[in-house]
This record gives sequence, C-alpha cells and structure tokens, in this order.
Amino acid sequence: MGADQFEIAVNLLKLIVIFLAMVQLVPILVWAERRGSAFIQNRLGPNRVGPLGLLQLLADAIKFIFKEQFIPANAKPFLFKAAPVIALVPAALAFAAIPLSTPVEVSTFELFGRAWGPYVFEIQTVHMNVGIIYILGVSSLGAYGLLTAGWASGNKYSLLGALRACAQMVSYELALGLSIVGALILYGTFSLNEMVQLQEGPLAFAWFGKQVTVGWLPNWGIIFQPLGAVLFLTAAFAESNRLPFDLPEAEGELVAGFHTEYGGFKMLLFFMGEYGHMLVSSALFVIFFLGGYGIPFLTQDTVFQSLLNNGFSPTVSSLLTSLVFLISFLMKVFFFLWFFIWVRWTLPRFRYDKLMDLGWKTMLPWGLMNLFVTAIAVYVMNRG
Amino acid sequence: MLIDVSGLLFYLLAGLAMASALSVVLVSNPIYSALSLALTMLSVSGLFFHLEAYFLAGVQLIVYAGAVVILFVMVLMLFDLKEEKKAFSGGLISFMFKVILAGLFLGVVSSVIGWTFKGTPTPRQALQDGTAQTKELAIRLFSEHLISFELTGVLLLVVLVGAIVLAKAKGGTHAR
Repeated sequence: MGADQFEIAVNLLKLIVIFLAMVQLVPILVWAERRGSAFIQNRLGPNRVGPLGLLQLLADAIKFIFKEQFIPANAKPFLFKAAPVIALVPAALAFAAIPLSTPVEVSTFELFGRAWGPYVFEIQTVHMNVGIIYILGVSSLGAYGLLTAGWASGNKYSLLGALRACAQMVSYELALGLSIVGALILYGTFSLNEMVQLQEGPLAFAWFGKQVTVGWLPNWGIIFQPLGAVLFLTAAFAESNRLPFDLPEAEGELVAGFHTEYGGFKMLLFFMGEYGHMLVSSALFVIFFLGGYGIPFLTQDTVFQSLLNNGFSPTVSSLLTSLVFLISFLMKVFFFLWFFIWVRWTLPRFRYDKLMDLGWKTMLPWGLMNLFVTAIAVYVMNRG
Repeated sequence: MLIDVSGLLFYLLAGLAMASALSVVLVSNPIYSALSLALTMLSVSGLFFHLEAYFLAGVQLIVYAGAVVILFVMVLMLFDLKEEKKAFSGGLISFMFKVILAGLFLGVVSSVIGWTFKGTPTPRQALQDGTAQTKELAIRLFSEHLISFELTGVLLLVVLVGAIVLAKAKGGTHAR
C-alpha cells in the first residue's frame, strides 16, 4: 500500500526532528567542550550563567545571532556567504542515513472515523541500502566549505588554512576509506542497518568450516577488526579537523585558519559543520565496530517480547524497545563525542609534514595490510 | 500528469549538470570554473542515484567531487593565472587549438546522437540492491575488463612517477 497522510506526516516530522536534534546538540557539545577542557586543565570554565553554566549556551546563541554581519573588503561576497552553508550541509546530509534505533511497528488503529496502518517507521531519516557509500560520498564534500571559505575571505591566513584543510582531508579520506573496507568484507553489505543486525548476539564466527560461538563476548566488529577500528578513529579526527589534527585552524600559526574572517551566525554554521562531522564519525564508528544501537546480551526480540509479556500493547512495546535501543546508541555515541573532546585537550598539535607522513606512510600501508589479511582470512576460513 | 516526479527530478538534475558544465567554459575566473565543475560532478552523481546506480553515484562523489576537483581548486588557488589566461585568449596557435577541439567535440556529440537513434536500446537488468550491483560491477571489472583495468593502473603510476620527477627537476622545496 502506498504512503497515506499519516505516514507522510510522521516521516516529515521525523525529518525535522532528527535535523533539529543534530543542530541542538551543538550548543550542548560546546558547553561540554568548555567545561571539559576546564576540568582537564584544572580550571573552572563557564559556571556563572545558570546552573553549571548551562545557560551560557543561550547567552552564546543570542550573541551569535545579534553580532554584526560584515563582509571584508577583499572578500568575494557570494562565496563568502555561501561557504558556511556548504560546510554545514554535507554533515547534515550524512547524518540522515544513520540508523538511530530499531524500527517502530505501529499496528492498525482507528482515528477520524477510518482505519489507519499498519506502519513501520524507521528511526532514521532515509533508509539506504548503500548507506556507507552515501555517507562517505557526501561527507567528502565537506572540504568545499573550508576551501571556499578560505579563498573567498581574501585573507592570506584563511587561504593557508584552506589549503591545509584540503590536502589533509583528501589524504585522510583515503585512510578512512581503506580502514573500513576490511569490515565491509566481513559484513558483506553496504547497508548500515544490516551491519547492526549482523552484530547482534554473542561472538560467532566460522573457524575452518566449524561454527565457533563465544558466549561472553558480544559479536562486535572491533573484535574482528581492531586495527581497522584504530585507523578509522584516527582518520575520523583528521576528517573533522579536530586536535591533534586541527592544522586548518591552528590558532598559534594562522590566527583562526579558514574562518579567520567569520563571526556571528556564519561562524556558528562552521561550528555546526564541525560538530556534525564529529557526530557522524562517532556514529559510524559505533555502527561499524561497536554494534550500532545493539545492547550486548540482549536482542531486539527479547526486549520486545518481555515488554509484550508485561502487558503492553504491540505498538507501545515496539515504541519502548526503540527507545531503549536509542538510549543505548546515544550512550555509545556520547562516549565518543566525549573522547573527541578529551583527546583535543590532551594531545598537542601535529607538525604539518608529520601529519602527512602519518597519513600516507603509516596509516595507508597499515590499512592496505589490514585489507589484505582480512580478505585472505575470510577466504580461508569460509572454505574450511 | 505530463511529467511525473521522477521525470521532473531527471530534468532538474540534467539541467543543473548542463548549466554548470556551460559555466565551466564560460566563466572567466578559473576558481569559479573549477567550482562549477564540482557542481557538474555533483549533478551527474545525482543522475546516477536517480538511475539507481548507487555505487557509481557514491564513487562519483568520493573520487571526482570529493578528491579530484578539490585538488583542482586547491592548485588553482595557489597560482596567479593571468599570464596563462592571456596566452589562451588570443593568437593563431590557440585559435587553431580551439577549432580542433570544437571539431572533436562536435564529432563526439554527433556520434552519440547517431548511436542513440541506431537500433533499440537493451533493457536495464533489474539489480536494485546496491550491494548486488557492486558485486556485479566488481566481477565484470576483474574478469572481462581485467587487462584494461590493469593498464589504467599502470598509466596512473606513470603519471605519478612523471609528476615526481618533474617536481624534483624543476625546483621547489624538494629540488635536488
């Protein structure tokens, strides 16, 4: 049956809610970043405005909106205004393909004098069976935002920042892509939803034709691909331009790099882009290597059945199951967001040539070797 | 309805691809020209998506829009191209080049049009699943087209070695 009004309305709402949730995460992350950095460096951080300094977010937001908008004399006005948008859009598009939780099944119900349903709503903006290719493709466009910002500002520091950003993002994209090919061989699918489902249950693999099951370990990708996980995490830092790889900004050398000339709301859009990339990278890491929204030793069916046995209706049980798994996913993702902040305030910045050496001479060969070994192992183990 | 949503999407993407491709040639600033090329790549990728060739669409984005054109833009930012622009805007030799290139382009266009009207097109095989498509593509690439695939790899390697040799010979920070 085709989509009716209810389904269209819910999907539209979902579209808006997921996008807003992503955007709303930015002030919270900024707060966590400032308080976290203060904690790590034995300072206090923003603690005056509201409880724990939480209202600082609101003050910051108001400040961002009411700052004067200006365009430098040497800037190219059109590209200068377009660049922050170009920086935000890829991150928002990439986040659309990430499965956040188990689908909600709504059974038939009566409303406004007619029967509706049954429906299945996925907790994700778009279900794609080529999710990972889409995400890699879209997020590779993120460099354009930095590039156009740097060039259109008409400032030498900005231009240098933009050049660094491009060289860095293109180089590390290679390492990022290679680090997950091993995992892709293991899963045999491009669909993020299928990957999460494959990681459900206890650790199980084929060992020379025999099925081996290890009950006390979850069936997570990190156990099969530890090297791939390390490479992915490292490349993710470079892709989202975070310290120790924040050479495009490098405030000690380039004032503020590619966004030197930006302020106010335009600056905020760059922030959203950067935190969006962080969010997408963390979510991808969780989906590839830590079982996505899965909970160890619990499957979707057991949670659903136990809720059903406790007297909830199928629709409500499905909704609650989805909520439980959503919380599990968010907890994992938040850990990695904290990890990004933690690393930023712990490690010093790389020198530029060291950065390139790490990308091309260390991560690329290791990634290739990981791919090679995984391919051989999968071939041999499955033949038996 | 005269055009359905899918048709509308096609015309939108195709129109965007043609408009941005035209602006690659017509815009005088090399950077805008390269950014238009990126837009062309994006809309071509959109067309691939529309034809349900998901893997090709993704690769188009990752390789062309995400890496090749970005490097174009980056290199263009580093150079002051006024001399080169002048050299290619007038003179007999550049005129000859333009005539030859326009002729070649017309030849390609006319042969494509002739091809389209010759015979019935073979229907597309239904491989809706992105993973299955990629598998099929990989099998074709590594069996039927293995030699041309490897030759392309060798060609790229030659270009790479040539670029490094030129960079070392012509100076710069890594000059011998």
